[in-house]
Amino acid sequence: MGSLASSSLKQESFRYIGKKTPRKDGVAKVTGRMQFAYDIYLPGMLYGRILKSPYPHARVKSIDTSEAEKMGAVVITFKDVPRKKFNIRLVSVDRVNYKDWEVLTDHPKYVGEYIAAVAAETEELAQKALEAIKVEWEVYEPLLDPFESMKEGKPKIHDKILFGNKEVTVKNNIACRLDYNEGDVEKAFKEADVVIERTFKTNRRYHMQLEPKVAVAKPEPDGGITVWTTTQTIHNTRILISQVFDIPISKVNVKKLPIGGSFGSSIQTNLVTLVAVALALKAGRPVKIALTREEDMYDHCSYQMYFRLKVAAKKDGTIIAGELENIMDIGGHQIQAYPLLGCLLGWFVSLYKWKNIRYKGIAVYTNKVPSCAFRGYGNPQITWAVESIIDELAEALGIDPIELRLKNYVGRGDLFWGQGPTVKSVVKSDGVPELLKKGAELIGWYNRPKPGEQKGRFRRGIGLGRGFHTSGAGGRISGEVIDFTGCILKVNEDGSVDYITALQDHGGGTLDAHAKIIAEELGVPLDKINIIWADTQTTVYDVCTHASRGTYVGGEAARRAAREVKKKLLEYAVRLLGDVVNPEALSIKPDEELGQGVIYVEGMPDKKITVGEVAREAWQRNWGSIAAVVSYRATSSPPAYTVYFVEVEVDTETGIVRPVRVVAGADVGTVINPDLAAGQLHGGFAQGWGMAVLEDTPYDPETGELMCRGFITDYKIMTAQDLPKVDDFIVIFANTHEPTGPFGAKGLGEAALNPVAGAVANAIYNAIGVRFYELPITPEKILKALKEKEGKK
Amino acid sequence: MGKVIRFKLNGRPVSIYVENNELLLNVLREKLGVVSPKYGCGIGECGACTVLVDGEPVLSCLTLAIEVDGKEVTTVEGLAKDSELDIVQRAFIEEGAIQCGYCTPGFILMAKKLLEENPDPDEDYIREYIRGNLCRCTGYVNIVRAIKRAAEELKFHVSRAKQTQ
Repeated sequence: MGSLASSSLKQESFRYIGKKTPRKDGVAKVTGRMQFAYDIYLPGMLYGRILKSPYPHARVKSIDTSEAEKMGAVVITFKDVPRKKFNIRLVSVDRVNYKDWEVLTDHPKYVGEYIAAVAAETEELAQKALEAIKVEWEVYEPLLDPFESMKEGKPKIHDKILFGNKEVTVKNNIACRLDYNEGDVEKAFKEADVVIERTFKTNRRYHMQLEPKVAVAKPEPDGGITVWTTTQTIHNTRILISQVFDIPISKVNVKKLPIGGSFGSSIQTNLVTLVAVALALKAGRPVKIALTREEDMYDHCSYQMYFRLKVAAKKDGTIIAGELENIMDIGGHQIQAYPLLGCLLGWFVSLYKWKNIRYKGIAVYTNKVPSCAFRGYGNPQITWAVESIIDELAEALGIDPIELRLKNYVGRGDLFWGQGPTVKSVVKSDGVPELLKKGAELIGWYNRPKPGEQKGRFRRGIGLGRGFHTSGAGGRISGEVIDFTGCILKVNEDGSVDYITALQDHGGGTLDAHAKIIAEELGVPLDKINIIWADTQTTVYDVCTHASRGTYVGGEAARRAAREVKKKLLEYAVRLLGDVVNPEALSIKPDEELGQGVIYVEGMPDKKITVGEVAREAWQRNWGSIAAVVSYRATSSPPAYTVYFVEVEVDTETGIVRPVRVVAGADVGTVINPDLAAGQLHGGFAQGWGMAVLEDTPYDPETGELMCRGFITDYKIMTAQDLPKVDDFIVIFANTHEPTGPFGAKGLGEAALNPVAGAVANAIYNAIGVRFYELPITPEKILKALKEKEGKK
Repeated sequence: MGKVIRFKLNGRPVSIYVENNELLLNVLREKLGVVSPKYGCGIGECGACTVLVDGEPVLSCLTLAIEVDGKEVTTVEGLAKDSELDIVQRAFIEEGAIQCGYCTPGFILMAKKLLEENPDPDEDYIREYIRGNLCRCTGYVNIVRAIKRAAEELKFHVSRAKQTQ
C-alpha cells in the first residue's frame, strides 16, 4: 500500500497540502470567463422548449402538433422517441436498476412531466409553437400522500417496470422495499430500562442550485452527437444517451463543464439532456434547451421520509436496540430509491451501535416531482431523527448527551457500512472525541440552560448534532454501487503537468485538492499543474462526483498517477545525468527560480536536471513520453465525522428562530484545502439551517401543483441576513490521519450538512422545552406548540 | 418592432438592434457574447443577473434592453484593468468566497457598488446590502469576509494615494 509511506509524513512537512492557495478557476470565475452549460451558444443553434403535463396523473388521448409544425418548428412527441424504459441514474450495477423512465411519455405521473418538445429559430417562436400543440387528456385522481398511495384499489402510477432486464409488476404503488434484521429487537425492548418510540416526518426540499438544468446537443456528420449539459458524471450521461438512442458509445461525446451548483440533482442525467438529443437528431442541427427556474423546480427534489423510530437502552447508557421503519415518498419515478433503502439503513446502523436491529424500508410512488439525492442522500433526514431521539434518551437516562454519544457511536475499530449493506469496512480514523470536547468548550456546553426553564420573549438554547458521511462508496467486496475512477497525467516540455480527469468539481475545490496532491507527490510547483477541461472522448471512466468521494477516491487516483509519472521521470533522469546509480538516489523539488520541478541528487546541488528537460529529452531520444493512465477502485469508504454545536434564539412572540452561534467540527483526516474545506461547512450549515426551519415544497391537494408554483418567491432559501456573523461561526478540524486516503484525507461535502438539522432541533428544544417531529420547524409550528404548552399549565 | 440602441458596454461603444420587449440579460448574453450575467430565476429574486447601469446595480432579467440606450453598462468582464484584477475580484479569490461561481459576478458587482457608497461598512451593513443575491454554496461567510477585505484594501490604497500626493 503506497499510502502507508505517506502516513508517516507530518502535516507541517507538506509543501502544498493544508496550505491556503488561490483556487485555480478563481480568475475565470471572477472575470466572467467561466463557461457554464447555460452559457453555450453554437452557430446555427435552435432553441427548444418542452411541453409538460399540467396534470399530476393523466393519459394523453390524442395529440395534434400540426399547427406547431406549420409555424416551422421541429416537433417531437412520445411517438418519436425510443419507447424503452430506463433509469436516468447509472451509478448502480445494471441488474439492480429499476427502470421506469421514458424520454417523453403519454402517461405523465406528475405535473411537469415531459410529453412533447419543439425546436425553433428563437426561444419565443419555440414557445409559441409549444402553445399551438393540442392535447386531449384523460385525467386520474392524483395520489399525493404515500400512505394513501399504498392503499388497495388506488390508481396505478406504474404498472410494468424493469428491474435490471426483468419485467416486474408494481403492486399498490410500492416501488421497492428492503427489510433487515440483526439480533432480537423484541427481546432487547423487554430487557431495556428505557424505550422511546417516535414518528418523524421530513420535508421535501428543492436543491435550488443557482444554475437551472440545461442541455445543448449537436449532431455530428458521422451520426454521432456532442453534448454540453449540467451533469455530475459525463461518462454515465454518455452511456445513457448511447443506450437510449442506440448510438455507438464512441460517437457520443459529453463535454465536461463547470456546474452552477448541483448538490445531487445531476447525479442522474437530467431528462432535458435526452430531450435535447432527440430534438437535435430530428432537426439535424444543434438544439439548446434551458429550463426556467419554474421548470427546474418541477424537475427534482429531496426524498421525503416518514420514520418510526424505536430505541432502547440500559440504565448505564448502553444502547441495546434500534428499530426503524422508513416510508419514502419518492414521487413519480425511481432515480435511486432502491439503493437509498440500503443506504438509509447504512446511515442508521453506522450512527450508533444498536446491537439489535430491525429495519423496514418502503419506497412509494406518488404523483409528485421525482425525488433524487440531495447532499447527504437521506443521511440528513435520518441523522435529524436519530440525533433528536438520542437527546431524548439522554434526558430519560439522566446522562449528558455528549457522554451518551461517546459511549455508543460507531468509531475507530468498528464495522462501518455507511453506503448500505453491500459496502462495509472498518473505521481507521476517528476524531469524534476530540471534536466533541473542543466543540463543547467553545460553545459553553456545560453552562447551557435547562430545557424550557426560560421565561421572557427571547429564549436561547444550545444543541448538538453528530453525524458522518462516507468518503465514496468503495468496499472490499464488489457491491451494487459502482465506485470506479481513473485519470491521465502527462508532463509537458516546460515542466508543467496536464491533469485530465472526467471527475467533476462542483465548486467545492475537489480538483484543487487533486492538483495539490499531484504537486506534493511529484515535487513540481502547484501552479504548474494544469487542470484540463476534457470530455468523454479524452478521459477514462469516472462514475460520478457523489458520495463525498471526490477528494478521497479521485485524489488517490491522482496521487497514483503522480507516482507513476515520477517513476518515469526519475528513470530517464538517471540516464540523462550519467553517473547517478539509480532512481532512488534522486529527488524532485520545486525550484522557484526556474519555475518548475528540478530533479537532483541530495547534497550535490549541481547534479540536477529540470522536469521539463527530462520530458523533452525523453522523446527526442526516442525513449517515450512521460505520462500515466491510472484507474482506481477504493477498498473502503471511511466516515468523515462532523459535529455541530448550534446556539439559537427563539422569539416567542413571532416564532422566528435565529442562529446565534455555530461551532462546526469536522474530522476529514488531513485537511487539503483549509479555506475551501471551511467553505463546505459554512455552506453545509446554511443548507441544514434551511432544512431545519424553512424549506419545503408542499402540493396543492386538488391540482397536484407545487404551492410555490415553481417560483423562488415562495421557495425561500437563506440569505446573508439570516445567518450568523463571521466571528460567530467557528470551524474546527480534528487532528486525524486516514491511512487509506491520499496523504491521509477523507471526504467532506455531505458530512458538512448531515447533523445540522439535528443540532438545530435539539437547540430549539433546549430553548423552549418543545420537541418537533416534523420538518421544517416553522414559526407557525413554534407558536402553536408554545400556545399548547402554556395552555397545559 | 424595435430600434437600434447605442450604449457603452464595459467601456466600448455598442450599437445594436433590439426588439422593444427584449430583456437586457438576453441581449448581453445571446447577442453581445457577455455571459457573466447569469439567468437564475428570471423574476428578480436571485441577483445572479446583476449588472451596473450608469454605476447602479440593476437586475438585467427585469430590465428591457431599450432602457440602456445612451447609458453605460458594466459587467465583471469590464472590471479588470490592463489584465489586473479589481480589488474586489481579488478579494473574492483570496478569501475563498467562490465555490460553483454562478452567483459570483452578481455578488462582485453588488460589492463594488456597496464599497463606493460606504467605504467602511460593518457586517450588518454588508449583509443587508447583499441580501438580494442568493448563494447556495458558501453560506455567505467567505463572501462577507471578501467584502470586508476589499474594504480594508481600498482604504489602504486611498491612504497610500494621499501620502504620495
